[in-house]
Amino acid sequence: MAETEIQATVVVDARGLLCPMPIVKTAKAMKELVPGDVLKVMATDRGSVADVPAWAGSTGNELLEWHQEGETFVFLLRKGEGV
Amino acid sequence: MAETQKLVIMVTHGPDEPELASIPFIMAGGALASDVEVVMGFQADACLLMKKGVAETVAAAGYTVLGELLPTIQELGGKLLVCSPCCQRRGLTEADLVDGAEIVAAGRFVAEITSATNTLTY
Repeated sequence: MAETEIQATVVVDARGLLCPMPIVKTAKAMKELVPGDVLKVMATDRGSVADVPAWAGSTGNELLEWHQEGETFVFLLRKGEGV
Repeated sequence: MAETQKLVIMVTHGPDEPELASIPFIMAGGALASDVEVVMGFQADACLLMKKGVAETVAAAGYTVLGELLPTIQELGGKLLVCSPCCQRRGLTEADLVDGAEIVAAGRFVAEITSATNTLTY
């Protein structure tokens, strides 16, 4: 699904942060959301390409899609039920 | 959600080895962000990382600095346990340590490790 079709509830700007801070910021932001909400995460740490999907899988959240915009990796995550 | 998992991370490297001192905090941050309970155990020179003002001086190129990692671990509820004889040898008392750091002995470390899902040692 293209990003333009998904409305992010909240955006986390983790650009410039190194491991593990992108997922730390993502986890903090996700706690404030309700199931079904979509979080957009922007990161420049190359490790986040592996880290964010793994984090989503282990915490019961859903990675809807990710793509690269220049130096920035953009992730769209949907908060899972009962998380 | 599955039952909460618990990770014990034993740290033995101090400020003189910033990379090996930083990686355990990175793992702790990743675990806490993933809703895994974290207990960090500091032994030998790693005790010095728990001395007030020291974490802020530890930085390894390419890694998040300890001055940012430590408060993150504290904020996310990671437990900080520091080895009693290791502190004694270095003249450290609880008053010298960062907020929340607790001086404990072998029995407590063993209890934490045996009740953990996994243990990492650095």
